[in-house]
Amino acid sequence: MSTVQFAGISKSFGTFRALDPTDLDIPQGEFLTLLGPSGSGKTTLLNICAGYLVPSAGRLVVGGRDVTALPPRLRNMGMVFQNYALFPHMTVAENVAYGLTVRRLAREEIARRVAEVLRMTRLDGYGDRAIRELSGGQQQRVALARAMVIQPDILLMDEPLGALDRQLRKEVQLEIRRLHAARPRTTIYVTHDQEEALVMSDRIAVMRAGRIVQIGSGTDLYERPVDTFVAGFLGESNLIAGTVSAIADGRATLVVPGLAQPLEGRAADGLSVGAPASALLRPETVRAHAGGLSARVAERVYLGELVAVRLSLANGHDLWSRRLISEWNGRDVVEVGWDASAISILPNVLV
Amino acid sequence: MTGRLALNGFVALVAAFLVLPILAIVPAAFSAQSFIRLPPETWSLRWWGEFFNDASWRLTLLTSLKIAAFTTLISVLAGTAAALGIARSGPRSRALLTGLFLGPVVTPVIVLAVAMYSMARATGLVGTVTALVIAHTMLALPFVVLNVGVSLDGLDRRLLLAAAGLGAGSFHIFRTVTLPLIVPGVVGGAVFAFVTSFDEVVLSIFLAGPTVKTLPVRIWEEIRLEYTPVVAVAATLMLALALAAAGASRLLSRR
Repeated sequence: MSTVQFAGISKSFGTFRALDPTDLDIPQGEFLTLLGPSGSGKTTLLNICAGYLVPSAGRLVVGGRDVTALPPRLRNMGMVFQNYALFPHMTVAENVAYGLTVRRLAREEIARRVAEVLRMTRLDGYGDRAIRELSGGQQQRVALARAMVIQPDILLMDEPLGALDRQLRKEVQLEIRRLHAARPRTTIYVTHDQEEALVMSDRIAVMRAGRIVQIGSGTDLYERPVDTFVAGFLGESNLIAGTVSAIADGRATLVVPGLAQPLEGRAADGLSVGAPASALLRPETVRAHAGGLSARVAERVYLGELVAVRLSLANGHDLWSRRLISEWNGRDVVEVGWDASAISILPNVLV
Repeated sequence: MTGRLALNGFVALVAAFLVLPILAIVPAAFSAQSFIRLPPETWSLRWWGEFFNDASWRLTLLTSLKIAAFTTLISVLAGTAAALGIARSGPRSRALLTGLFLGPVVTPVIVLAVAMYSMARATGLVGTVTALVIAHTMLALPFVVLNVGVSLDGLDRRLLLAAAGLGAGSFHIFRTVTLPLIVPGVVGGAVFAFVTSFDEVVLSIFLAGPTVKTLPVRIWEEIRLEYTPVVAVAATLMLALALAAAGASRLLSRR
């Protein structure tokens, strides 16, 4: 368990810049998720941390020790790979014991710790099984057990749930969260799945094109995204394009073609008057409102107790609303309003 | 239906064409006569006795086994090392090295034989076990490189990264992860190497001497003098060993 500091870490492959110079401090015991689309640099950052990639510049300090030049085997980090990378010729117990055998621990100590971690990951009784006899979810837990048993300074996970089906993924997410809560250990988790990030993380770093564009708690990112990319990546969003007409006291006004009233909301950084920008309206803030804008219900998606409705405004804009099913029942022509305090005005990012 | 019948018949004919001439030598080894005739008129183990009671035949068989064993050992060690090196190198040097190591397979054997003979003469090695082991290793090495190479191609690199991440040094990783996973390739390569050496005749004729003779060379010499069933016995022995080697490799690689 340790603090991790990336100081000006960057990585280029030839002329391709995979990771811009990046500073990132992770306090001890934090569960940090690197969230981004493929090619955003999140796995590069993880592999630099594990020592599988040597950064082109910068320093990596773990628990006060500069490990930038240290090979992976001397770093004491536990890595869980996307496809688990379990040793196919060893049993479950032999896989889990591998890192302990390498450390030349006493036989009884190894047996004790393997048994303990198998119990923690609910694999007791599976020690003698061959890897190929296990289901995907069980293999995933073996990989986790193998990484945790060495009591790593940092636990690194590279899209570990990518190969599991949806139901199992939810289970394992909660399992990982439970294990982390029971014994907090500095963890860096890579995923492109926003839901995974929200369920497990203390903080989320959203990455795009080799840079961390925003870092914060799930609430921070959801409620105060820095640009349209983050807004679109986390949660559902209505983005309405317009032109900034005024900025004052952290608020901005956006003129939208076809909308009589300009939209007013929290101003993100990087806006300038006269420049194009977008207003973010989360679907749960769009509701029925007597005397509001007239709209036609163009589409209904049943989501259980909620319903998602695509509202077609008179000026041609579409707004998605996600509300209790009773709110949008029956009618086809409705009057629409929104929670003005929940609007953010964001700089546009072309993706 | 008739088409299928015709096809099956044709396949049977081709198979017979391939196998029968080889198998024909087996009954000849169990003949009681002093000349080869198919099928033998009377059966006996007479020629097996002749073979094993003759010290020079026994010596030849032992020489062949010894040379094949050395060849296998050296080819497996060097070939596995070479395959590991090739697997690690970049795409361009990989193509170059592969071509280099597979060279002996595509070079006409008679060319190799002439070259090896002149080298062996220059160094005074003609007629020694050393010369034969060196020559056979040259032919056998590519099979080990190929077999181990295929196994290495199927090896997931992330297993090695995982082992390193768990604290293992490169030799430990090789011993506990790489080697166990490429064993089928190593065994396959070893069998190929053994059979290659045991069967080899062209290089051996050039490099053998009066005291150091392999079984195929002796058979070739014998046949030119007199055509007795003891030659069939030697040939049957070779056939049995080759089959045993192939069977063993199938069993080991099925694991």
